[in-house]
Amino acid sequence: MANTTSPIIRLTHVDVIFQDVLVLEDVSLNVAPGDFLAIIGPNGAGKTTLLRVILGLVRPASGAVRLFGKAPWELNGERRRVGYVPQVLSVDLNFPVRAEEVVLMGRYGRVGLFRRPSSDDRAAARRAMERVGIADLADRPLARLSGGQRQRAFLARALANDPDLLLLDEPTTGVDVAATESLYELLRRLHEEGITILVVSHDVGVVASYVDGVVCVNRRLVAHGRPEEVLGSEAMTQMYGCEAMFFHHGRVPHIVVEKEP
Amino acid sequence: MTEVLGYAFMQRALLAGAVIGAVCAIIGVYVVLKGLSFIGAGIAHASFGGVALGFLLGLNPLLTAIGFCLATAWGIGLVARKSQVKEDTAVGIFFASTMALGILFIGLMQGYNVDLFGYLFGSILAVGEQDVWITLGLGAAVLVVVGLFFKELLFVTFDPEMAEVTGVPAGRVYFLLISLVALTVVLSIKVVGIVLVSALIVTPAAAAYQLTEDFRRMMALAVVIGVSSTVGGLLLSYPLNTASGATIVLLATLVFFMAALASPRRWRRPAAHHPVEQP
Repeated sequence: MANTTSPIIRLTHVDVIFQDVLVLEDVSLNVAPGDFLAIIGPNGAGKTTLLRVILGLVRPASGAVRLFGKAPWELNGERRRVGYVPQVLSVDLNFPVRAEEVVLMGRYGRVGLFRRPSSDDRAAARRAMERVGIADLADRPLARLSGGQRQRAFLARALANDPDLLLLDEPTTGVDVAATESLYELLRRLHEEGITILVVSHDVGVVASYVDGVVCVNRRLVAHGRPEEVLGSEAMTQMYGCEAMFFHHGRVPHIVVEKEP
Repeated sequence: MTEVLGYAFMQRALLAGAVIGAVCAIIGVYVVLKGLSFIGAGIAHASFGGVALGFLLGLNPLLTAIGFCLATAWGIGLVARKSQVKEDTAVGIFFASTMALGILFIGLMQGYNVDLFGYLFGSILAVGEQDVWITLGLGAAVLVVVGLFFKELLFVTFDPEMAEVTGVPAGRVYFLLISLVALTVVLSIKVVGIVLVSALIVTPAAAAYQLTEDFRRMMALAVVIGVSSTVGGLLLSYPLNTASGATIVLLATLVFFMAALASPRRWRRPAAHHPVEQP
């Protein structure tokens, strides 16, 4: 990106190995403050691993990771500058917990051991819910939220610490088309409020009209550029194989990938 | 039936039983929600080794079981987290090997005349004064720790990865949780028995899960069900002349099936206001 300020995220020549398998290979990526990037790629391409590397949940076998200028696992207070929305299927969606409690959990680390959340923490949770438009659902059990409402609750949890950086992993899984559009509208608004956003997505067509950059990952970083440059490029063909088909619709090309039988 | 309340052994068993019912139910909520049932069963069986070691060394078997169960819990946790072995495989290995150790210890005792049956299946007659104190002490310790780490235990049970990301030490909280499971097992085995203690941890919490979608309410309901099951089971086991552990667990199981039938979760699924969006 054209931004010359120091990057929020800097990956240099990152390799990640899981059980002798190279999951990410030689990935270098800079994310500048104010970026709104989509990470796309086929299943098993290492997109989630890339987020987990940035968060410090996975350590690279080689290469360097810097988040706000530090190794992610050495962050202390800066940790709160990152909001993370993990894949929805990583938790039990029938867990007996209400929306407000889910959002408040985002503050637990800051509250600290042996202490209960203060009225400040509750106010922050309330603000985060208002920001994503679910303040009226505070008392609703998680299992009774629709797919879109649930994702807003997880997004509110990530916003509860007023982060500068948001990382989202497939935020539209289990969300219908209308709710998907409005979720991306919401992300666009948060981006306009100054939050740097990285979103892993498979909604290539939808996401391209919101973000200002696309990163293609297929173990290696295949392409990184503006949506209209990346989508429809050779990189995409390379990534999805010859079954990929492009057609133009609206501002950006869409991609249709036929599923293997 | 009321005259049994006059016996000192019955009063001791009821006091211990009520504490056990409450503590098992509270720990059970985490065990059920985090899917640790098999770990609970594994730790319970490991206590057999600890009890046998106590007999061999001439110590109170509950005290040796504390060390044994904690070591097993940490062993399972370490193997599951730090190696390529899956958690249930780790449990399977520790489960059998600690029982085998117990059988070895018993074999080493010359002509054993020990009430092992009481430890395996629970016996109200076997609850001595020292056992009541151990149960009360351990029960209080478990409840205090749960109170101190309430929000961390909730977060790590619900979403350990997010807990880690936001600065909650998820790994250490996990070890704390399985240690609490180990202590809960030990404080329960006199009344419920080694074989059945994991059922008393899981069943009241599973029944409560059927009835509510609020975490604290689930915990409160589990305590009510757990305490009713232990107290009710103990009172029934005396006139029926049945093993206390079996009576308690069957009573809790009955409550579970009634709760499952009455469950709003069961009837809610196809509701129109709740669009099914998951694949």
